Amino acid sequence: MNRTLAFSRRCFKEMLRDPLSYIFCLGFPLVMLVIMTLVDRSIPPGGPSVFHIEKLTPAVAVFGQTFVMLFTALTVSNDRAGAFLTRLYATPMTGRDFTLGYLLPMLGISFLQSVVTFAAGFIISLILGTPLNAGGLLLSLIVLLPSALMFTAIGFIFGTLFNEKTAPPLSSIIISLGSFLGGIWFDAEATGGVMLTLCKCLPFFYCTKAARSAAVLDLSAGGFFLPLLIVTVCAAALTLLGSAVFSRRMKAQ
Amino acid sequence: MFAVEVRELTKKYKGKTAVEGISLQIREGELFSLLGVNGAGKTTTVKMLCCLTEADGGEAFVMGKSCSREKEAVKELIGISPQETSVAEKLTVRENLQLIAEISGFDKDKCTARVEQIISQLGLDEVAGSLAKTLSGGWKRKLSIAMSLISEPKVLFLDEPTLGLDVLARRELWRVIEGLKGRVTVILTTHYMEEAEQLSDCIAVMVSGRIKALGTLSELEALTGKTGLENAFVAIAEGSV
Repeated sequence: MNRTLAFSRRCFKEMLRDPLSYIFCLGFPLVMLVIMTLVDRSIPPGGPSVFHIEKLTPAVAVFGQTFVMLFTALTVSNDRAGAFLTRLYATPMTGRDFTLGYLLPMLGISFLQSVVTFAAGFIISLILGTPLNAGGLLLSLIVLLPSALMFTAIGFIFGTLFNEKTAPPLSSIIISLGSFLGGIWFDAEATGGVMLTLCKCLPFFYCTKAARSAAVLDLSAGGFFLPLLIVTVCAAALTLLGSAVFSRRMKAQ
Repeated sequence: MFAVEVRELTKKYKGKTAVEGISLQIREGELFSLLGVNGAGKTTTVKMLCCLTEADGGEAFVMGKSCSREKEAVKELIGISPQETSVAEKLTVRENLQLIAEISGFDKDKCTARVEQIISQLGLDEVAGSLAKTLSGGWKRKLSIAMSLISEPKVLFLDEPTLGLDVLARRELWRVIEGLKGRVTVILTTHYMEEAEQLSDCIAVMVSGRIKALGTLSELEALTGKTGLENAFVAIAEGSV
């Protein structure tokens, strides 16, 4: 465990010293929160409610996690491009040490990102005169952890399998898929038909749904528990897959 | 017991033989140079000895531990300074050393003591607080060697440690490497003949994945009838011997 923590600290420090992490992981979600609030204010009454602050805030938090995925892919693929990992492969570190070493700091960043997004959403809601439920936001913060792990694991897998030129574009595809098929920028459940079926086939939809339900303390089985279960199972499966893929890559040096 | 013992070690990549049945023994505390032109199999050999790649045939032992069956034990005994820059660029020199010390399993006090000892031993004091990405090539190589030494390895692998360095930085690294002789078994791969000549106790010349000659400088000179390592090497590499 000491090796994992030592490697985690290294990843965390390197990330904090990279200005891109602030732009992608903190700046961009906040900008989207403000822009989409302005869009919501411009929509006439009776229009779509997806940009209302109580729905927008948890959705933007999920959107932010997709950027942590991109950052994870970038970090791992860049590390693989140099000889730094070769040095570490010759130490007693195992595939599991590397996997947790990469995922733990990214989860920390993701959590911090959600806290900042919720704090900003709460302030905006106060300005708008429709304060968000503080208890719901706290629950949503916890509910977002499995989806943070899921997105980070996807980034880890991309960074492990692909080089530093290929991994970021592939992550961008997931960002787009996550945004649209996850129902971040539109009400997926209002669409129905093939679109809704497609959304329900991917885990992103359940990330947004669980976070939104938690934010308004809707603890129903269909709205909260089932989506949370799906996301948790996907996160665990992708983490195990990531660890297996990384260990395989280590051996295939 | 030999520090490193290799028996009929073989490695193939997609049908192409990179290392073909090499055998050698390296005594403890010896500085052993592995020479060869590009693609001769030096780095592949080092990778097999460091448990970074699996051999397709033969056996290798580091301090009596098998590189194929006791990888974790071998990894606790070795240090490696790879060919390319292998430092965490956004960590300081001290943080890089601290990281490897922690990964090596030292407790907090030993980590701190070891980091300061290595900084002092390798003369890294003036750059200890600098980010690795701001260092010159020479300092980075020095840091890389420091990182490979911090775990107190019994066997140290230096893969072309002075590649691309200016003459002053190279000479300074030679002094560092020479200082290790007798205390740590060093396996050095290099393209610089004067480097091998200056530092080595024993030299192996690899050609197309095989060891073509093995011995001290004077033995290689006697074998080829040439004076100086460069001439002896050329004779061996060109197949005149």
